[in-house]
Amino acid sequence: MDFAGAYSWINIRFLLEGLWVTLEVAFLSIIFSFIIGGVLGLIRFLDIPVLSKAAGAVVDLVRNLPLLLIIFFTYFALPQIGIRLSIFWAAVAAMTIFESAMLSEIIRSGLTSIPRGQIEAGVSTGLTYGQTMWYIVIPQALRAMVPPIVSQFVALIKDTSLAVIITLPELTRNARIVYGQNTNYVIPTFLMIAFMYWVVCYLLTKFSKRLEATYN
Amino acid sequence: MKKSIRLLGLFLTAFVLVVLSGCTAGAVANQNIVERVEETENPTLIWGVKADTNLFGLYNIAEGEIQGFDVDIAKALTEEMTGDASNAEFVEVTSKTRIPLLKNGNIDAIIATMTVNEERKKQVNFSDVYFAAGQSLLVPEDSDLNGVEDLTSEHTVLAVKGSTSAQNIREHSPEAEVLEFENYSEAFTALQSGQGDAVTTDNAILLGIIAQNPGYRLAGDPFTYEPYAIAINKGQEPFRDEVNEALDAIIENGTYAELYHKWFPEEEIPDLG
Repeated sequence: MDFAGAYSWINIRFLLEGLWVTLEVAFLSIIFSFIIGGVLGLIRFLDIPVLSKAAGAVVDLVRNLPLLLIIFFTYFALPQIGIRLSIFWAAVAAMTIFESAMLSEIIRSGLTSIPRGQIEAGVSTGLTYGQTMWYIVIPQALRAMVPPIVSQFVALIKDTSLAVIITLPELTRNARIVYGQNTNYVIPTFLMIAFMYWVVCYLLTKFSKRLEATYN
Repeated sequence: MKKSIRLLGLFLTAFVLVVLSGCTAGAVANQNIVERVEETENPTLIWGVKADTNLFGLYNIAEGEIQGFDVDIAKALTEEMTGDASNAEFVEVTSKTRIPLLKNGNIDAIIATMTVNEERKKQVNFSDVYFAAGQSLLVPEDSDLNGVEDLTSEHTVLAVKGSTSAQNIREHSPEAEVLEFENYSEAFTALQSGQGDAVTTDNAILLGIIAQNPGYRLAGDPFTYEPYAIAINKGQEPFRDEVNEALDAIIENGTYAELYHKWFPEEEIPDLG
């Protein structure tokens, strides 16, 4: 094992570039998923005939597929129907599809956690149903959602490594190139990327715990 | 309800697999590459190469480009065919993505340590062989293995995906267990960790590993040959013929020998005939 060679500045910088791509993909995906998952979760919560059932079916479908398969789908199958995405956007699209289903469940259960009585109380004071949702239910529900959303984000950062399969230049793929140079770099490189994933995910988990503490 | 959703999931999975297997070729893939090269002013040829395989295709971090024998051969062929080596563009592929990318028309040809075999011939066309090193076993110095004939059911051989080295081992010693890895850095590390008894791949690569790692040796003479060729999509036969002509030309004018020496200085240039 050659730690000094594996940890040359040029290699470390290349790994950090990979970490940056990992974070970019994870961050963009979580933002898009929050919007799409929010809409899906709200539709399911509101119990609109047909629409809620349809949203539920989509969520159940996506949640029960492996993320790897969705990545293959956005990269290889979409071009067949004329949608050609770059590797980066194919990865973001796959993660967004997957995470939207996950987040919609978090958002729905966040909304369900607010007692029905509050909605009835709001409506009886003269607020419309929409106003009750916007001013009373959603702000409280958002608080309950923050910790699970952050832990979902942490999981997403780790899942991004699956996109190594379509050669997304993220942390794991860059690690492969670093240890491709020399067979003695393999284990040092694995240790380094383990450390990098750990630092990022640990800090986020800490941050989420602190948020939770402030809300309580 | 739940059951029907599961079924739908199964169908979708099946659909994706069918698409992946390349049953449907995209419109771009049908465009004639030779015509495209002749008609455009500055024609580019897009080659699928590996980026994590030392000596053949490895991304050079300092210089920001993929380098290796495969890459240099692709450049030389591009120069033959279009008059300028800088017309060659490179796309990183893995053993899993290269055939779908070729079928989807993202790349014009694959030059990525790809061995010719019957199964692949059903999906793609192959050029003439451009690299044919012998395949041996790499073992620790104190190993009791002295050749492929010593392998028994007690032994595990570590091979690299995409090449046919795993298949060859199964033919020569069917009892031995075979594990496959994404690249040979991983296969060799598995050997170091005691996950197997020998690594098998081309001699050229094994000698490179020994140079970096004293304490390992080759076990016996090469027992088979691994012919690497360039893969081109079905329906692009004119392009394949041009690639073959260009390959003949660079062997003829000495470029091939020069590139072979650059990447495998210890090895004798194989007879490709």
